[in-house]
Amino acid sequence: MANNKKYWVGLEELHQTEAFKEASENEFTESSLSVDEFLGETELSKTTTNRRDFLKFLGFSVTAATVAACETPVINSIPYVNKPEEITPGVPTYYASTYYDGMDFASVVVKTREGRPIFIKGNRKHGINQGTVNARINASVLGLYDGTRLNGPKVKGASAKWADVDADIKKRLQAAADGGKKIALMTGSVISPSTNQAITEFKAKYGEENVVHVSYDPVSFKGIRKANELSFGKAMIPDYDFSKAKVIVSVGADFMNNWLLHTQYVAQYSKNRNPQADWMSKHYQFEGGLSLTGSNADVRVPILPSQEGKALVALHNEVAKLAGGSSISGSTEGVPMDMVAKAAADLFQNRGKSLVIAGSNDANVQVVVNAINVLLGSYGSTISTQVETYVMQGEDADVANLVKDMNAGSVGALIIGSDINPAYSLPNVAEFKAGLKKVGLTVSFSSHADETASLCEVICPDNHYLESWNDFYPKTGHYALAQPTINKLYDTRQMQESVLRWTGNDMAYHDYIRQVWQGYTASMGNQEAFLFDDFWFNALRNGSVNITVPASDWTPALDAAAVSSAGRAITSAKASSGIEVSLYTKVGIGTGAQSPNPWLQELPDPISKVTWDNYIAMNPADVEANGFNMHLGQEWPASLAKLTVNGQELTLPVVPQPGQKRGSVSVALGYGRGAGQENIGKAAFRTEQYGGYAKDADGNKIPIGKNVYSLVGMNNGQFAYHITGASIEGTGETFPIASTQIQHTLMGRDSVVKETTFDFFKSAPKEAYNAPHELAVHEGGETIKKNVDDIDLWAAHPVKGVGHRWGMSIDLSTCIGCSACVTACHSENNVPVVGKDEVRRGRDMHWMRIDRYYSSDMDLEKGAEEGKGVIESYREMEVPTYDNPTTVFMPMMCQHCNHAPCETVCPVAATTHSNEGLNQMTYNRCIGTRYCANNCPFKVRRFNWFNYKAYDKFADVNPAQDAMARMVLNPDVTVRSRGVMEKCSMCVQRIQAGKLDAKMKGQPVEDGSVETACAEACPTNAITFGDLNDTDSAVYAGENDKRAYHALAEVGVKPNISYKVKVRNA
Amino acid sequence: MHKEAAIREPLILGDKSYHDITVDVVGPIENKAPKAWYLLITISSIIAVWGLGCVVYLISTGIGTWGLNKTVGWAWDITNFVWWVGIGHAGTLISAVLLLFRQKWRMAINRSAEAMTIFAVMMAALFPGIHMGRIWLAYWVLPLPNQFGSLWVNFNSPLLWDVFAISTYFSVSLVFWYIGLIPDFATIRDRMTNPTAKKIYGILSFGWSGKAKNWTRFEEVSLVLAGLATPLVFSVHSIVSMDFATSVIPGWHTTIFPPYFVSGAVFSGFAMVLTLLLIMRKVMKLENYITIKHVEYMNIVIIVTGSIVGVAYLTELFISWYSGVEYESYAFINRFSGPYAWSYWCMMTCNVISPQLFWFKKIRTNLTATFILSIVVNIGMWFERFVIIVTSLHRDYVPSSWSMFYPTWVDIGVFVGTIGIFFTLFLLFARFFPVLALNELKTILKSSGEKYKNEDH
Repeated sequence: MANNKKYWVGLEELHQTEAFKEASENEFTESSLSVDEFLGETELSKTTTNRRDFLKFLGFSVTAATVAACETPVINSIPYVNKPEEITPGVPTYYASTYYDGMDFASVVVKTREGRPIFIKGNRKHGINQGTVNARINASVLGLYDGTRLNGPKVKGASAKWADVDADIKKRLQAAADGGKKIALMTGSVISPSTNQAITEFKAKYGEENVVHVSYDPVSFKGIRKANELSFGKAMIPDYDFSKAKVIVSVGADFMNNWLLHTQYVAQYSKNRNPQADWMSKHYQFEGGLSLTGSNADVRVPILPSQEGKALVALHNEVAKLAGGSSISGSTEGVPMDMVAKAAADLFQNRGKSLVIAGSNDANVQVVVNAINVLLGSYGSTISTQVETYVMQGEDADVANLVKDMNAGSVGALIIGSDINPAYSLPNVAEFKAGLKKVGLTVSFSSHADETASLCEVICPDNHYLESWNDFYPKTGHYALAQPTINKLYDTRQMQESVLRWTGNDMAYHDYIRQVWQGYTASMGNQEAFLFDDFWFNALRNGSVNITVPASDWTPALDAAAVSSAGRAITSAKASSGIEVSLYTKVGIGTGAQSPNPWLQELPDPISKVTWDNYIAMNPADVEANGFNMHLGQEWPASLAKLTVNGQELTLPVVPQPGQKRGSVSVALGYGRGAGQENIGKAAFRTEQYGGYAKDADGNKIPIGKNVYSLVGMNNGQFAYHITGASIEGTGETFPIASTQIQHTLMGRDSVVKETTFDFFKSAPKEAYNAPHELAVHEGGETIKKNVDDIDLWAAHPVKGVGHRWGMSIDLSTCIGCSACVTACHSENNVPVVGKDEVRRGRDMHWMRIDRYYSSDMDLEKGAEEGKGVIESYREMEVPTYDNPTTVFMPMMCQHCNHAPCETVCPVAATTHSNEGLNQMTYNRCIGTRYCANNCPFKVRRFNWFNYKAYDKFADVNPAQDAMARMVLNPDVTVRSRGVMEKCSMCVQRIQAGKLDAKMKGQPVEDGSVETACAEACPTNAITFGDLNDTDSAVYAGENDKRAYHALAEVGVKPNISYKVKVRNA
Repeated sequence: MHKEAAIREPLILGDKSYHDITVDVVGPIENKAPKAWYLLITISSIIAVWGLGCVVYLISTGIGTWGLNKTVGWAWDITNFVWWVGIGHAGTLISAVLLLFRQKWRMAINRSAEAMTIFAVMMAALFPGIHMGRIWLAYWVLPLPNQFGSLWVNFNSPLLWDVFAISTYFSVSLVFWYIGLIPDFATIRDRMTNPTAKKIYGILSFGWSGKAKNWTRFEEVSLVLAGLATPLVFSVHSIVSMDFATSVIPGWHTTIFPPYFVSGAVFSGFAMVLTLLLIMRKVMKLENYITIKHVEYMNIVIIVTGSIVGVAYLTELFISWYSGVEYESYAFINRFSGPYAWSYWCMMTCNVISPQLFWFKKIRTNLTATFILSIVVNIGMWFERFVIIVTSLHRDYVPSSWSMFYPTWVDIGVFVGTIGIFFTLFLLFARFFPVLALNELKTILKSSGEKYKNEDH
């Protein structure tokens, strides 16, 4: 019906007039060809190009033009065909594992996202380190994604197949054994029961008499083992318990950084650093260079490294005097007797609860230490007589003998572990290299063609530890497991598996470990209803397991003759002439195994704050006397000096280091890797100002820093790290140094850092050591003094008592400045690495930094007393105490102010306050005026000066520019673009995740369930994070503690982060 | 007709008729430019191109090409910005404030001064733009309706106030300047024989016919714009100063800033006017219009504003001590005794001591001395901004972050480049625009012309 209706536009149409017809025909025709005619045109259809082809051509050409016009970024993303059960995209998975590289041991938890490990944290629930990790362990995850790792075995530099390599090696090993030549297995300290088992099998296969296993530690502690043999007839290292020690005297032992099982000691030590507990430990440190441990000591006494032994003899005699024991004869001239006597008195007063340790690798020195500990009754208390420590098994003499044998041609095969790099770290590298040429078969397990591996015939690259199974037995009764957290990225094979293959054992290493463990547990007899699977999975889940081992108690029966002969050796040593050099390992780079890791290179040294270099640390007074540059900064380079030791010459920059004993210098080991142009990592070499590697005159890449392992001496069969008789001479040249801090003193600003002594803290009221900043205000017609925290110029953000208010409490007393938080923040928040040149220009990007201040001899009051003007006083306050400054560390990050000065000044409101008290940075909105950074009193904002993720300058330093290393980026955190401001977000991604988690569980966010990366990484729990609105939370207690204060309170910015007054037990 | 006291010195020297004024002013536009002009514009445009090249490099590579760092987030960029804005002040002050105060001597200098203002503000406006990390998003500082949700600008931010202040100032100055140019363009149009030029000047003159009605409207608009521009003279630099004054940084957080900045701006603006005019009167033979008396008047303004600035410096120092605030006092101690003390003392010498020389009549009527001192003052004023910005930032609250600022070649290139652009624009102005307000000058010829004054006697 409806279709029958017809509508006309007008009567003309209805009547179909002539005029209308004509008009309608011409209505749309402008050309002579009407539509019908056009479509009916047969000529067109005769062409070979039909319409469809035309459209195809059009499409292709447009696409081609588009493709040619722009370079499309290729992003490889491969979706799961079947979703793995345990992986949910966006939800992290955690695995308990263990880190061990010969220097650091720690039970860790590995965070993986979509199958990629991206973050390492300490395992707080299990393991001897109680959650302690350091910067090196934290940063180790980056090594997994190192694109310069070898992909598959190499024979003489050429790629090979595993099967061929195995067959060849097996044949040649057998030939070597048959030929009566030695097969040497050179590894780091092996603390893995299964590895040891595999080595035993290997020995069995090729003949016990033919195979030697040489343990080699680049930084050796053989002296302690040897001393225990001399003292007690037992070559071992006992377990130390710092948590029981009320008085700790360390002579040159950097037990917070590198001394034995330091991850355990840090956790124990920090327990007794709370001034609000019943007691607080007292820590004496006698040392030459200012170490991390020394900077945390309550009393630090600078001594020459060569005096360590004498100081201990003196200490022994002082303690003996008090204890009524016999003293060691001999001169202890030059030792600061007053401090020794004080330490001895404190030790003796707390006998049985005190501990003396030494860092020296000289057995004689350690024998005296043992004697003191016996006098003090430390054995059975702070030093275990039941538990042994198995790390650091290096046999320096064996290493020396091996090198001799190699040169003698008696070694038929040399197999070098992946954890050592002797061609880099041996002092007698030349001999080693010469010997290597005389060895029939040389095999390296190194993951890189590094200094050693590149000289070996065969390289059988080992897995990264995050790809490996492993087990560890760091100390008696404690087993730890490492499990793979990702499939192998390259065609590598685990070292142990390789060894097993060569013995003809085809078992997977995982099964092998299980088998070994099964054997162990069976032998322990502790098997009532013992289900191995339960035991195994429990151990795997926890990462470690403690087993009661039948006690093998021993009594410390001291060999008095050993003590007196050691004392004689020490006291009769000639007084040193010339300058003393002490070689140490840095917090970041350690022994150098991870030196191509850009996170660690960029990590400022906790003490000197220097990045990307090693240097001669020299007392400023000596620097001045030598006429070297005193002030280092962007355009103030360091002087280069030639260090001559035993005929060897090394040119290094000189960095003035307050606290360094005059007459001695310290130089860090672990630098100068890749000097032979080995491909050990992108970030291993110096880069130019506009990108690319710096090249020397021969066109070679220049390593970062200098290798000083060649200076390591040999003393009674042990490596010696203190060398005397050096000389230093300026070359007249300069060298830029990149330091993140150029002002080293606090300038008397006690509203930044507050500190007091333990005695004063105990006796004085809060106002005396933590006086609130008060301002005069008018109220009710009267002028009254009011705490600045209670004064508001304008309405506060309504965050107090409403919902969450995230905050932090940072205890300056327990912060040891180790900088684990810095690398943790780096890896959690995808902080760019900017390289040396940019750090030198004051553009490091760390969201979290540790400010380090030295004390100064001057303050305004003293200056006034001495009749000095303010200007002069201030100028002198800029200069730290040269000889023995006290050091304070202050972790500094965005303070999340409730009256944030940055928020008001941003013209586009890119930085705002959240209703949970966070100061938020909206990168998308930021236009980069940098006004916020200028107006930040704490200077914690970081600007993206360049496009760090693409600009050439950073191609070789920033992991985000490497296709492989990019995988380490945390997918929860944006990689910032050029021109935007960034800063600490208080790990807002973790807060969100925590809130979501609580919401799903239907319960409030539990205190401690959300932790920032820095708080999580802090080995001493100096950083507490939580909800300030939760009155039961730890952070609330911290904020309301009597030691709590807000940094720069008088500025009135009302931070959500509070600090706790540093208390020294001085 | 306006009568002027006989003891007042004449403002137009020599025996000038109305026609002479026209010829003197329009002559340079009609005739071929001298060789010196070509030489100068070549040099200045090379510098300008170099500067623009630096800007392109800066924008394409990143702000890191400047010498800034984590502690010093602003240095030469904002120094240059404030310096150029300050220079721009003289033009508006001369044309607006002096117009309201009926200072006839302004007529010889206001045109060039206003042109200088426009160009200086253009140079100034460049810096807040290029100092942004992401200049391509610069339009976000404008309160525009947008598709980013309900995103709005932050009205608390002094930088936003700056945006409004500078853009208002620039547009009002531009309109004011242009209105003044209209009758003069008409004069040029009427004299032009070249049809193209005639056409162009015809368009530029908006069909000015010189009728009484035109003149009344012209006078009225000038007065209205002067009224509008006068508060801007004070507001712009007050607001610029608030970039610093509203912050929490010691050395910036100072209530004295607005008046101190305004007088500093006038101070530097007059110095720059002198620098330019002393050359121009010589080259373009305008000695009869821009007389020693004009120079002296301007020098007097410089003494006054320079002294205000000096007092402000001393007040700052006094307050920093009197406040008893540790950080405040240190900021100032550091200024005059720290690593940048040389820049502080350079500023003090140039800005406080050197203008005092103008108390001597011999010096303030000496053209060479004036020329040298005018440059000295502008150097001093540049250092003033550098001192305020860099010495306050480089050592603020937390000593661990103390640092130094060193300019890079890009910092220098951009700054020098803006000077090149500025002079290029000014040279173009001198070549194609009437450099004196010739029609306005004619209004005072009979009252203030030397010949007519003498005839009255």
